[in-house]
Amino acid sequence: MATATAVVGLACSLWGRVGVPLDEGVFASQIWQLRVVRLAAAALVGAGLAGAGLALQGLLRNPLAEPYILGLSSGAGVGVLLGPSMGATLHLAAWATTPALAMLGALVTAAVVYGIARRRGRLDPYVLLLAGVIVNVFNGAMIMTLLQFTRQEEIFWFVSWGMGRIPEWLWHRPMLLGLCGGMILVGWIALFLRSTAMNMLSLGDDVASTSGVSVQRLRVETFVLVALMTSAAVALAGPIGFVGLIVPHVCRLLLGPDHRRLTIVAGFGGAMFLMLADTLCRLMGAWFQLGEIPVGVITALAGGPFFIVLLRRRAREGLG
Amino acid sequence: MSDASAILAASDVRFAYRAGVEVLRGVHLAAAKGKFICLLGPNGSGKTTFLKLLLGVLSPASGRIELEAKPLEQYSARALAKKLAYVPQTPTSALNFPVRELVLMGRYAHTGAMGLPSETDLQVARLAMEMTESTDVADRTLEELSGGQAQCAMIARALAQQPGVCLLDEPTSHLDIRNQLKIYRMMRRLARDWGMAVVCVSHDINLAARFADELMLMKRGAVIAAGGPAEVIQKNLLRETYDVEIELIPTSDGPPIVRAH
Repeated sequence: MATATAVVGLACSLWGRVGVPLDEGVFASQIWQLRVVRLAAAALVGAGLAGAGLALQGLLRNPLAEPYILGLSSGAGVGVLLGPSMGATLHLAAWATTPALAMLGALVTAAVVYGIARRRGRLDPYVLLLAGVIVNVFNGAMIMTLLQFTRQEEIFWFVSWGMGRIPEWLWHRPMLLGLCGGMILVGWIALFLRSTAMNMLSLGDDVASTSGVSVQRLRVETFVLVALMTSAAVALAGPIGFVGLIVPHVCRLLLGPDHRRLTIVAGFGGAMFLMLADTLCRLMGAWFQLGEIPVGVITALAGGPFFIVLLRRRAREGLG
Repeated sequence: MSDASAILAASDVRFAYRAGVEVLRGVHLAAAKGKFICLLGPNGSGKTTFLKLLLGVLSPASGRIELEAKPLEQYSARALAKKLAYVPQTPTSALNFPVRELVLMGRYAHTGAMGLPSETDLQVARLAMEMTESTDVADRTLEELSGGQAQCAMIARALAQQPGVCLLDEPTSHLDIRNQLKIYRMMRRLARDWGMAVVCVSHDINLAARFADELMLMKRGAVIAAGGPAEVIQKNLLRETYDVEIELIPTSDGPPIVRAH
């Protein structure tokens, strides 16, 4: 899996409008290095979002759960936009404030959505989705409000960030890339360590807790880890939707329900998916002379219909 | 029923979901090793709520529940799982796991979070599947099984925990009569041959009276009667509990058959 991801990454790095000199010094060329940094970011973001989506679906026993749909991404987005102004007042480095505030935004959103959907210790799957919709609207309004107070020259950056794209400038921000990458990897490993407990949770809360799983603790821990991974992804690349929906679903179709396997595979799968999607954006932009298409647009174009199919199928089966 | 011999004991347990509406009003239970106890009573009598308190999923408002003379809330989830196991009413989820994996999940408390199953784990799982006649379907998923086979697999999963107490919530509610018999025989064997305390919420008075060692009749959160089938299967007690006219039809080899009018 790791090898496959590396191969995909290498292939993507060699593919572009400007050819990389294959005969000599591929790895020394500036273009290649830029692309590799960008692909590394795409891989981290993809792994983070897919891992977070898988964990949410397992935790909530709801195949439609996803950081973007439940509003965690937009919550993190509010945090990211607060970053520049807060950072200036607190005299903190931007690479540290941005992910920290994103984390805070994601955690608050997670708590609100969870609180709305919880009835007598159970989570109503429809209420959960509606809560996500409402919180997304609210966070959207917050973002609009923040844009009002943003200086003209920064607005373009914010808008382009808000569409969800893997930025080129990470080359100049190694600390941000390192911190967010670290957050995603830590979250991923921690989720893997909880994958057996997550399997147990699919038997129902009562069976899981009488089989030795501290269900309440697992819930809180998983929400924190999901918020950690989502906020790191959003701090790097803005709110990219549906990666956390599509990738875990395809993995589950291919591999069955075992979270021990799924956590690993979904992570690598998400990394490959987003590297390919981002490369596609880069190439399409070049072919049609459009500049670059944000990768968030592509994933949303693919993910919207995917979500509807899942929703319809679930409605047919009857929501449990 | 003396409390000293009980592995699981509840005394004067009270519980309310909402303030002022008591669902359980002072319930006692003493489940001894090697005994099969059935909780009977009409819908809404508090049987399932009481079972959830015995599982430690809910906590009593007052009263005490003790497992091996130690209060239930003092057990960690893991420690509790080694002594007490639960079989839910219907296996509704985890349908895609093969039976073998499902049963191994019962070893969670023994194996640890990430540990691979040891030889002991595999051995215990194998025994649990043999006991419940699930070995033949070990490689199939729950989804592919009949209701009876699926319930057996869920019982095997509980047995893999190697508990001293096994609690079941209406395990035969969707099963045909052949499978109902099979499950009740199995529960009796778990008590007699395996030495477990088996507590089962049931709606089938006749099966319960035939197989259980003790019966407990509940109504509106209180115990109407408790004891051996001969003491509990009585016209006036059953009429009081279920609010229907009762006819008892004698049988040659066991407790009388209860018929409601």
